[in-house]
Amino acid sequence: MSNEHTVKSYEEELQHLTDSLIQMGSLTETQLNDSMDAVIKVDKESIDKIIQSDEKINKFRSKIDTQIMTLLVKRAPMAIDLRETISALKISQDLERIGDLSKSNAKKVKPLPLDLPEELLSNLKRLGDLVTKQLNDVLDSYVNKNYDKAKEVWKKDEQVDDLTFIAMNSVIDFLSKDKKNLDFSTHLIFVTKNLERAGDHITNIAEIICYLIKGEYLKGHRPKGKETEV
Amino acid sequence: MKHVKIKSKNLNVFYGEKQALFDVNLDLNEKEVTALIGPSGCGKSTFIRCINRMNDVIDICKISGTIEMDGVDINNKNLDVVSLRERVGMVFQKPNPFPKSIYDNISYGPKIHGKGETKSELDAIVENSLKKAALWEEVKDRLDEPGTSLSGGQQQRLCIARAISVNPEVILMDEPCSALDPIATAKIEELIDELKETYTIVIVTHSMAQAVRVSQKTGFFHLGKLIEVGKTEKIFKNPDNKMTQDYITGRFG
Amino acid sequence: MTKEQRLIKRHRAEKRFQFYGLLSIFIALLFVLVLVSNIFSKGSSAFMKTVIKTEVFYDQELLEIENGASRDDIISTDFFDVTIESLLEVFPTNGLEEEKQLINLFSTDVELEIKSVFLKNNNIIGQKIILELTASDDIDQLHKGNYPRDLPEERRRISDFQLKIFDQLVEDGKIKKNFNNYYFTKGDSRDPELAGIGGALVGSLYSILICLILSFPIAVLASIYLEEFAPKNKITEFIEININNLAAVPSIVYGLLALQILLSTIHLPRSTPLVAGITLALMTLPRIIIPCRASLKAVPPSIREGALAVGASKFQSVFHHVVPLALPGTLSGTIIGLAQALGETAPLILIGMVAFVVDIPASPIDPSASLPVQVYLWSESAERGFVEKTSATIMILLSFLIVMNFLAVYLRQKFEKRWN
Repeated sequence: MSNEHTVKSYEEELQHLTDSLIQMGSLTETQLNDSMDAVIKVDKESIDKIIQSDEKINKFRSKIDTQIMTLLVKRAPMAIDLRETISALKISQDLERIGDLSKSNAKKVKPLPLDLPEELLSNLKRLGDLVTKQLNDVLDSYVNKNYDKAKEVWKKDEQVDDLTFIAMNSVIDFLSKDKKNLDFSTHLIFVTKNLERAGDHITNIAEIICYLIKGEYLKGHRPKGKETEV
Repeated sequence: MKHVKIKSKNLNVFYGEKQALFDVNLDLNEKEVTALIGPSGCGKSTFIRCINRMNDVIDICKISGTIEMDGVDINNKNLDVVSLRERVGMVFQKPNPFPKSIYDNISYGPKIHGKGETKSELDAIVENSLKKAALWEEVKDRLDEPGTSLSGGQQQRLCIARAISVNPEVILMDEPCSALDPIATAKIEELIDELKETYTIVIVTHSMAQAVRVSQKTGFFHLGKLIEVGKTEKIFKNPDNKMTQDYITGRFG
Repeated sequence: MTKEQRLIKRHRAEKRFQFYGLLSIFIALLFVLVLVSNIFSKGSSAFMKTVIKTEVFYDQELLEIENGASRDDIISTDFFDVTIESLLEVFPTNGLEEEKQLINLFSTDVELEIKSVFLKNNNIIGQKIILELTASDDIDQLHKGNYPRDLPEERRRISDFQLKIFDQLVEDGKIKKNFNNYYFTKGDSRDPELAGIGGALVGSLYSILICLILSFPIAVLASIYLEEFAPKNKITEFIEININNLAAVPSIVYGLLALQILLSTIHLPRSTPLVAGITLALMTLPRIIIPCRASLKAVPPSIREGALAVGASKFQSVFHHVVPLALPGTLSGTIIGLAQALGETAPLILIGMVAFVVDIPASPIDPSASLPVQVYLWSESAERGFVEKTSATIMILLSFLIVMNFLAVYLRQKFEKRWN
């Protein structure tokens, strides 16, 4: 958008909305990173900090909701402005969910043992790294309004599914090796699932960004990797 | 696929030396509402005034290109402009009822076109027109009162009834609600919704929201050129042309 | 200067302005009051005439007709002797000089008055009837207190003997004032007591009527053409400028025009309401065109557009919508123009209405006077009796003008209320 709204306050309101969303995205990214770190290193000290940070993300969600209501009632936005506003609403919902999932993963670290198998951890790490990268990419594509990048993120969901499948198998292996591992395994299954769901939310965000930029919905089904049946 | 009622082809309009419309090609579909939007002075009023040849009264106005209604060129020398205006009615920005009684306001048109010979015929036409304009219940007991004694919104509906009284095929509306309060505006928009079942309607409006609400097709004019035309929902949700988007989102000027 | 000082200064200025305004109104009203009271005081007495109660004996011997005689017979009969006999009974006289003076107390028309009583009731032969006969203008003025009594006899118009008779009659209660019907029914006369505005009134009415019939349609149609249909080019502009100028041309010029063209070239009859009407029409044309055009211009274009949009032709939109709306302004302009025409004197003098016309005109081609010209003529006369008549005629004229102006205002308000 090379030219600005004639009414400066309208321009500022839209800018504030985008800024809020980007800040919320950064917080969510940090949250996801930290929770993944905590899981891989089984770092029980950082759990409380992560849980508290989730509050900040929720506050952002409320702030963005209010900004959107004000924009809708004051400006009756059209075309691109309308898409911006509604997209911000949807993306903030997805970001909040990703924050919740990260918090949930952090909580699951508490009961974990310190001597988890290398392979298991490395598979989880690979999955976590991919999801974290996806979030980073999708937020980038939002900031730069990069259609192609968003579409790439959307397509990569297939990879996320594949890595989830692998990680899930590692956990099930771990479970089957020793019945004592049932407790930890259950948690690890949830952690894996949460990561997959985070990936889905990120793909949602990618779809929303594509609609925002082009004004058309992406055609075709989401690329799906191997199904995990748990 | 709707039938095209009015078609302008390479329409150029000049006021003396100044050109007001440049090569306008616009199709108006039958029994549909087409909205024309654009900043002041962009030519949308000039365009609709060409359709019922109201520009004829301006001496220095010259036209090139054609406007066809049902395939017939309306600027043809042999076409009687009075019979054209019988088929194409107009409602103006500021309500302008005649300073006569309500009854006479409505019956004037049919009388001069020979459409109502007996009093009972005229009575029927008056009642019918007022009913179609959603005004009958409010005025049926005071048809002898002057048209100017009504409120602004009622006056505008009276003007719409007057336009309907001669049984036109097309109704042109030049910012019909700009002088009215929100309640009167809502009543007129409701009326337009009903009227489109019977008449082809073209409405010029400054209110973007109104254009979205009432029309099925929208044309965006700027500096005498038709920049973009298309389905209303597309124009307002995702227009093709950047200038259109800038205008409707308030990024103009 | 501080804000408070500015405020005080402004208030003072406003109060001063108010004062000046009120003062101007007061001065104007004062002038009007002086004028009206002056005229009223001089003219109101003209509406009464002095009459002398006299016993008239319809002596058969002197009359030579029977009771029940036909109208024609009565008219051809000479009532002179009856008149003289009855008059001489009023007061004892000694010698011809005194007899003459006694008879001169009465108006020269008393014979006709005595005859007309008989015409109304032709069965009064041999009867003595008390009639109220019109007094002469000298007695009339004396009775109204306009003749000073303390001058020596040679300088008075009434002799001592006549004064004696007058005083006696007053004492006997035989002198009184009646409503002066002659003022309204008779035409001009050498005798002030017999002079009336009947002829001038009818003459003025005919003139204004002809003026109206000629000027109104032409003016209105010309205005409509110039305003609605004429192309906006140099020729139209030229015509407009000239019409505006014509309204300011001194009216005597129209008199000259009428004299040359209507009287000398076309040979229309002089001094007639026909010629007066045509002259006044020429004068009134621009005075109607200008307000008519202004009214047409004032009709908002939205009305014309509304009519055109519904399928009216240009002609229909003008005549069905624009003209009716312009009518109140046009009418009030017309009435004011006619009121001005009513008071015109100079052009009418030039076309000969200064002639001494006794008869009331029966048609517009009979010679007549007009009200303002009559005022002019009487103001030139020597007799004292004409003074009050002049003022009374001015009162009549002013009343007409006031009524016409009120009519104009009323019509305008009535139509405008309907429109709005």
